[in-house]
Amino acid sequence: MTGFGILIAILVPILGGALVPLLDFDARRAREYYVFAIVLATSVYTLSLLSSGQGSELVLYHLTSTIDITLRIDRYGSIFALLVSVLWPLATLYAFEYMSHLHKKNRFFGFFTICYGITLGVAFAGNFITMYLFYELLTLATVPLITHEGTREAKVAGVKYLVYSIAGATAAFIGMIAILTHGGSLEFAVIGLGDAATPENRRLFDLAFLFMFFGFGVKSAIWPLHGWLPTAGVAPTPVTALLHAVAVVKSGVFAIGRVVYFTYDAGYLAGSMVQKIGLAFSAFTIVYGTVMAWKEIHFKKRLAYSTVSNLSYIVFAFLLVTPSGLTAGLLHMMFHGLMKIVLFFVAGTVMHQSGRIYVTDLRGFGRAMPVSFATFTIASLALTGIPPLCGFLSKYAIAEAALAQGSPLAYAGVAALLVSAVFTAAYLLTICVRAYFPPADFEPWSLKSVKEANLYMTLPLVLLTAAIVLLGCFPGALQAFIGGVVPAAFPGL
Amino acid sequence: MTQLFTLLKISDGLAIQFGADGLGRMFLCLDTVMWILVGIYAFKYKEHMKHTKRFFAFYLLTYLMLAALSMAANYLTMYLCFEFMTLLSMPMVLQDGTPESIAAARKYLMYSIFGATLGLLGFFFSAHYGAGTVFTPGGLLDPAKVAGNESKLLVVAFLSIAGFSAKAGMFPLHAWLPTAHPVAPAPASAVLSGVITKAGVLCILRVMYQVYGASFLAGTWVQKALIVLSLITVFMGSMMAYGEDLLKRRLAYSTVSQVSYVLFGVFTLHPVALLGALLHVIYHSIIKDGLFLGAGAVIFTNHKEYVSQLHGMGKRMPVTFGCFTVCSLGLIGIPPFAGFLSKWYLAAGSLSEGLPVLSWLGPAVLLLSALLTAGYLLPISIHGFFPGEGEKEAEGKEAPFQMLFPMLVLALGVVVFGVFAQPLADALLRIAEAMF
Amino acid sequence: MSLVQNVPAFSILLLMLCGIVCLVLPRRAARHLADCAIALVAAASVALLVYFLQGGAAYTYSMGEIGAPFGNELRAGMLEAAVATLFSIVTLLSLMGGRAHLRSDIGRLKVNLYYISTLFLLCSMLALVYTNDIFTAYVFVEINTITACGIVMSKEDGYTLAASMRYFIMSLIGSGLFLISICILYAVTGHLLMSNIQEAVAQLYAQGEYRAPLQVAIALMGVGLSLKSALWPFSSWLPDAHSSASASSSAMLSGLVLKSFIFLMIKIFYRVIGAGIVRTHAVLDLLLVFGILGMVMGSVNALFERDIKRLLAYSSVGQIGYIFCGVGLGTPAGVAAAMVQVAVHATTKAMLFCAAGGLMDASGGSKKFRDIEGAGRRDPYAGVAFIVGTLSMIGIPFFGGFITKLSLVQAAVTVGGWRNLLSILAIIVSTILTAIYYINVLAIIFRAPETAPTKASEKLKEEWKKQVRLDTEYEVAIVLFILLNLAIGLRSDQLMQIITTGLSMFG
Repeated sequence: MTGFGILIAILVPILGGALVPLLDFDARRAREYYVFAIVLATSVYTLSLLSSGQGSELVLYHLTSTIDITLRIDRYGSIFALLVSVLWPLATLYAFEYMSHLHKKNRFFGFFTICYGITLGVAFAGNFITMYLFYELLTLATVPLITHEGTREAKVAGVKYLVYSIAGATAAFIGMIAILTHGGSLEFAVIGLGDAATPENRRLFDLAFLFMFFGFGVKSAIWPLHGWLPTAGVAPTPVTALLHAVAVVKSGVFAIGRVVYFTYDAGYLAGSMVQKIGLAFSAFTIVYGTVMAWKEIHFKKRLAYSTVSNLSYIVFAFLLVTPSGLTAGLLHMMFHGLMKIVLFFVAGTVMHQSGRIYVTDLRGFGRAMPVSFATFTIASLALTGIPPLCGFLSKYAIAEAALAQGSPLAYAGVAALLVSAVFTAAYLLTICVRAYFPPADFEPWSLKSVKEANLYMTLPLVLLTAAIVLLGCFPGALQAFIGGVVPAAFPGL
Repeated sequence: MTQLFTLLKISDGLAIQFGADGLGRMFLCLDTVMWILVGIYAFKYKEHMKHTKRFFAFYLLTYLMLAALSMAANYLTMYLCFEFMTLLSMPMVLQDGTPESIAAARKYLMYSIFGATLGLLGFFFSAHYGAGTVFTPGGLLDPAKVAGNESKLLVVAFLSIAGFSAKAGMFPLHAWLPTAHPVAPAPASAVLSGVITKAGVLCILRVMYQVYGASFLAGTWVQKALIVLSLITVFMGSMMAYGEDLLKRRLAYSTVSQVSYVLFGVFTLHPVALLGALLHVIYHSIIKDGLFLGAGAVIFTNHKEYVSQLHGMGKRMPVTFGCFTVCSLGLIGIPPFAGFLSKWYLAAGSLSEGLPVLSWLGPAVLLLSALLTAGYLLPISIHGFFPGEGEKEAEGKEAPFQMLFPMLVLALGVVVFGVFAQPLADALLRIAEAMF
Repeated sequence: MSLVQNVPAFSILLLMLCGIVCLVLPRRAARHLADCAIALVAAASVALLVYFLQGGAAYTYSMGEIGAPFGNELRAGMLEAAVATLFSIVTLLSLMGGRAHLRSDIGRLKVNLYYISTLFLLCSMLALVYTNDIFTAYVFVEINTITACGIVMSKEDGYTLAASMRYFIMSLIGSGLFLISICILYAVTGHLLMSNIQEAVAQLYAQGEYRAPLQVAIALMGVGLSLKSALWPFSSWLPDAHSSASASSSAMLSGLVLKSFIFLMIKIFYRVIGAGIVRTHAVLDLLLVFGILGMVMGSVNALFERDIKRLLAYSSVGQIGYIFCGVGLGTPAGVAAAMVQVAVHATTKAMLFCAAGGLMDASGGSKKFRDIEGAGRRDPYAGVAFIVGTLSMIGIPFFGGFITKLSLVQAAVTVGGWRNLLSILAIIVSTILTAIYYINVLAIIFRAPETAPTKASEKLKEEWKKQVRLDTEYEVAIVLFILLNLAIGLRSDQLMQIITTGLSMFG
């Protein structure tokens, strides 16, 4: 029965979301109740599945003799599902308020909710073809959200996103099929290539790995495939925050993790050339993203580049191909989601309340919007890596995993991490300084019209910031949950 | 390290812990006394400042973090306190709200964070190669894990110590000091120079002696490089002070130079030199705070910032200049004032350490620097009291009593700690020896 | 000799007969006769397919029991039966889907002429599928060309006449080359029956004689049939012809006519020349390269189109490129991928053209993008059809398009060298481009009323307000098309089995 439960968790938001434009709500309250009910119900149900349904599986369909569409709950997928199901209701609340001044809300919330179901599909996919199905659907379902505003800028961003994503997904698909036709298994329950990895096949499997790595690397914003992310900053903030800081981009790193740990394995990858390529590109992206963020003055684009950099922390950790690397990467996946969504939400709140989009225009906002900027400061400190906030923990975990692995590229990664920390302070803390300590000639009345946002927007901020602090101080339960992934991914240990 | 108290255990190997040892107690006492004296001064100086509540809030919070830093029992806690101290002291720098002060505060922030990040690198390695986490005299590294990785650890040791030295103003990470001091209000400059730089020293002490251990670092290229850097700073700081006309920046360069005396003593890895360093920590705090409070009094009462404007000011502000002179004599190292003894021990320790070239080069540089110190401090007093023919005499009046009181206390301290130095030196020798 | 084995001959003859009878029947009767005939043929083909699935062997069927070298032969195998079934079903559904337009485009008096053309078209296509005689193939190729032109021209306006003229000329060039090739083969081997020619050719090749003429013959065969099946760059006639014709004509042309020539080419390469010899010939590389160019160029051209039917036509050029790419890879997996694409594209493109007709109906008859904005909401069947079509073209699992992508990629990764890399790149590029222009179409046809197009004329907006006439036949056709697509997507195992077994029976 729990096998079908997975399907229910995925279908409820998809069908529920599809009904929103069809039911065509006129009243704001009605739409909000309906959408929130669907999202909250799905979250609650998913969380109960995660606690009681570990290991359940559902073979949806035998597509061909060699390919099945399978859903499964395993620990690795549960971690991603946990992140998504906790964040979606909060983001929905925020979106209600944010979208109140924008149009075509039914279409927006329809696709927004559909994306929830699809993301759960990515998390619960039991093999690569199933994941590919949901991965492509995610691309398609997010395009209308990016182009929502209908401006020329939005359409360009949408097309760019589409081109990059489809290119990546197709490349990854080719890699998958190459593995399948040469005897490897795409089932996540089967770790490693096993007997198929003969020396003759090695070159082909290496090439397939690169196709999959860079193919999924598009959504993970690995340089040079990151270009769509900053451009997509024109989308409404709930989209950039939830989808481009959490759902879409984390799907990319999630998929890379599946490639590294569940399709290939440590035995194949440790010390190989493709591992070195992956480590090098992710280490470079860490520095590249952070420098570009520092140079950028558009608030949301700055945060987008920051995401580019932070995603490569996760990819780098995964590519160490050790148990500590895997858990460190997953920890950062969770924590970065929390921190980045707070940062984006505040950026959106500032835009919503005052229309300002550049970081240089934020003088004195600390007093005008106290709650928002307090949470922004805490999240910034966390992302910079100041203990005892959660961001420190994940950075520490990644560094320790790298030191334990000990290869030269691992040290390069630690260096990249530290360089990035300095720049992160530069591009985030300076915003806080400007907001709280405006120059002497600043006139407070110039911000008289700027007020703090209402509860819809501030409540998610406060809750998430509380989580950032609490998880930084008391990470034990979460770390134990994440640690549970090691036995599955490393069956020999 | 006794009386260990775990505030929060985050996970295995990560805990926020506090404890007391001689070194920590010394720094705590120093911080507290200085904070009180400058605080009294600041209550009067605040008439010159806007947003005073904000200033005092951060003043107190910085003290909190400094106290926590003194009591930090492991690297993580120390790093946490160091970072927060930077963040909480930065607003004092930009107190005036002018574009220069905001730029200076940003520079301070970035240098400190850069330094702290290098310190973080050290933390990652100490967590990986350490046998425990609590600071242990002689070092906490696990010999089994260290074997074979010495060169990596030496590089990291160098980088992390150099990182913390940013707070202590050592070349090449000193540039924030001369920028931040002139723009900060005088009380802030006083604590920055006098106390907060010593926080950097404390971190270096912990890392060098109680994480890596003196025996691990003695004789290595790390020690030599660090000594060279500190000597460069000693000399450079004095030279730059000599040529500087803005009084507060002259004092800032002086701090750069003097704190590197301390660092020189720390890096020499000899008990006597370390004694000299600890002694100089206390002496320099007292002296530099006295000097800055004096400079602040001149600015507050008479609005004069440049040395060239101070001819004859001594006659108008006799108490201020009197204290200023006493402190100057101490800084130069003239017995029986405080400052002589610390320099003596520094030289003695360096000579007995036995490093080639550096053991005599150090004292030589210190001597040269002393001459320069005289050159940049004495003329202020001399021209203040004896303006000479043809020089325009400055107008002004004496500073209010509330500001004079702390200065008098500090000047008295310079005399007392100079004459009755032995008990202090004995106590500090015990602390120094316990570090090895 | 069981009864079902008569189906090939029966199908061809029945269609011919009904076509002739339609000449004298009034409109309604002609329509019903045509529908019934095609349905009957479809059912019969299914029966034949079932016969093969249950283990029947491929057989040759002498017409009138006159033996070689004077007699004519048909040959039936699993693949032929499957293709025949596909062709008849799609023809029927295309007629159903475009019926409303037949009324308006062609006029009541000449509609029965249209049915004649359709019946003869299907007849010729089946003949090409079943024939075992190379000259008969030529005859029916010509009949195919003429009737295809016929169904384009029956909608009489300037565009169709110009387009069909161009089509006719290009097609005849192709037929001409094909004829020359036949003459060479006949001259060299002395046979017209395909199996006989194969033996002779194999013998000649082994002995090394007549090498040059044979090479030329193969090349001409390839080029000639490629011209007729719109291989890039020989596809310039296609956009005009397919876009100006009536909806069901476009559906049949795009979906079936092109495929029949490709199927003939595959048949000749495998049965007449022989797989081994063909694989050594450069013509396969030529087809591969041009197929790849077609995949990319077709999509590039479609990207810039602002007319829905021209967009679909260019999309066909691209999709045909997939088929040629598959054939050009030279492996059995490649040909299998090509055949899957034949099936998928036939159903999908025919559906899209019928849906395009529906969109036009809901927009006052215009095909331009600015006029069909929001048409997906006015005609939901067309809207859903386009959604299904897009998902299939992009290659989402559960849809037919995924299966073709899967098979093509599987074929590409098992081939070595430059072919591998080039085809992979082409698949990636063409998938991206296809996604862009199809999603653009979806965005346009689903645009909400409040952002009503300001570019459409007032007259057109008046048209929209008129009740869109619900056409049950059209709706049923669209639903069945969608089900067909999903059937391929969901039951691909059986399809692949039919194809691979059929191919092995082929030669």
